[in-house]
Amino acid sequence: MSRSTSGGANPGLGYDAAPPLSAPLRFFLTAPLFGIAAGLVLIGGSGVLESRWTPGALAVVHLFAVGFLLQIMLGALIQILPVVAGASLPSPLRVARLLHVGLSLGAAGLAGGLGYAQPDLLIGGAGLLGITLAGFLACAAYAVALAPATTMASRTPRDLRLALSALAVALALGLALALGLGRGLYLPLPFPVQVDLHAGWALLGWAGIILAATSWVVVPMFHITPSYPLALTRYWAPIMLVVLAVWSLSSAAGFSSLATIMLIVLLACAGAFLGTTLYLQSRTRRSTPDAPFRAFRLAMIALLASIGVLVISNLSDAAHWPVLAGVLALHGGLGGATSAMLYKIVPFLSWLNLTQTGVKAPNVRKLLPEARVRAQLRMHAATLAMLVLAALIPALAPLAGLMLVIESAWLLANMIFVVKMWRNARPSPQIPA
Amino acid sequence: MITLSSLMTEDHRACDHDFARIETQVDQGDWAAAATAMTDFAHALETHFSTEEQLLFPRFEAATGMQGGPTAVMRAEHADMREFLERMSAAIQRQDADDFGGEAETLLIMIQQHNMKEENILYPMCETRLADQIVALTAELDASLHPEITAGVAA
Repeated sequence: MSRSTSGGANPGLGYDAAPPLSAPLRFFLTAPLFGIAAGLVLIGGSGVLESRWTPGALAVVHLFAVGFLLQIMLGALIQILPVVAGASLPSPLRVARLLHVGLSLGAAGLAGGLGYAQPDLLIGGAGLLGITLAGFLACAAYAVALAPATTMASRTPRDLRLALSALAVALALGLALALGLGRGLYLPLPFPVQVDLHAGWALLGWAGIILAATSWVVVPMFHITPSYPLALTRYWAPIMLVVLAVWSLSSAAGFSSLATIMLIVLLACAGAFLGTTLYLQSRTRRSTPDAPFRAFRLAMIALLASIGVLVISNLSDAAHWPVLAGVLALHGGLGGATSAMLYKIVPFLSWLNLTQTGVKAPNVRKLLPEARVRAQLRMHAATLAMLVLAALIPALAPLAGLMLVIESAWLLANMIFVVKMWRNARPSPQIPA
Repeated sequence: MITLSSLMTEDHRACDHDFARIETQVDQGDWAAAATAMTDFAHALETHFSTEEQLLFPRFEAATGMQGGPTAVMRAEHADMREFLERMSAAIQRQDADDFGGEAETLLIMIQQHNMKEENILYPMCETRLADQIVALTAELDASLHPEITAGVAA
């Protein structure tokens, strides 16, 4: 074979297969700005958290879910595809640039359109997001298809593919909603059902499966715990997708009892994953869990709580239950887990970059001292507590917003701290990669 | 049946447990026990590395003709990780918990991203490309990783 030393024969093993540091870093530095923007909407909007349907709440949700969460998740995915799936994106830096710009402008436009009820802005933002994400999904599918076939023991590559499929469904449903709101072109479905399907595929499908796929690897290896039960890693993600599909079809067809049963199954499956993760973490061999470890644990607890609240919200019509479930899942669960991951990823990538340039690199805790991480994650926990209160007492939303601004700015400051340390440690004045 | 992947993966986990033991001793401020745990960990890691470098990688290289391929990357990472062992030992000798924590955290991430690549990509490739000799090779690797157990069985 003439490709014996090329990527095909050396799949993802060399650091040369990894994209340059600046590819993921741009996402990680932009995401906190969207956290700040979400906080500002909570401060400036009126009655934002009074229900899940207020324009302000829709804007906050999309600033956070797309601008913050999706931004970090996709930035990290670009970095880890070669390592966990043996899949290298074609020209990763160009993909990262286009994705970053399209995602950021799209999220801003979408949130602006929802918050200010501007149909053209909404359609423009959603359309840009649609084109950008469809392009990224095509690149990722191409990279995964070209990855050498191996009998991998890990289920992570397969689950990444399933998560990306769920993202495609969530995106399509979101675009249909935008066309409905912006142009009056509604699908033949009750509007709230369509919104629930969009949220279900985005949160339980995309975010849930990518969180699980990451946890199969991260929890046993970095928290030094026993492995997940084989049956869970083997069947969990496919079951989630199948049940999501049956739930969607039965909801759309108006079979409400079947839809309710499927929703209960979905939430029970999510609970099984979260419960197992908490159990495994309780059996860690690391004697003093660091701040990101504890933040990840808090995130799992917040997600479990969110499931409990969703069950209550199915039994009660009170407007605050869905808001509370959203706060717990988005900020507490996914926000906490992604922050914890950032604190592991960014210092290590900076260290790796320095080491590759032949510098005696400062270790990860010198690049980002634990005290800084701990302080910001405490702020995250305090913000979560205030957001939970604000979901129950909407008048507290501006205070929760202020705390979210501080938390996000602090995260940004910590990321910038690492970049400064990285710059200072570089051998000579160079143009950053 | 024990497979090459499961044998090598379990040894990765065993090394992780030795790593966690040093952290525990350092956290408790028992520097003598930490030094002992450090020696055990360094020994376990070195046994794993040398088993791969002397038994597994040469067979893979011979079977595939790839000298500068994945095994070269893995050998280079082994060299990087060996340097960490020295820095961690030095921090324990100085009884510097902060420096130890930073070096240990960096090594742990380094080890785990290395292990991911081996477990997800290299070991499955070995099982495919060395299928004709896999049973004998797995037994040889087992004996090299666990000489005391193998000797006990023989006796």
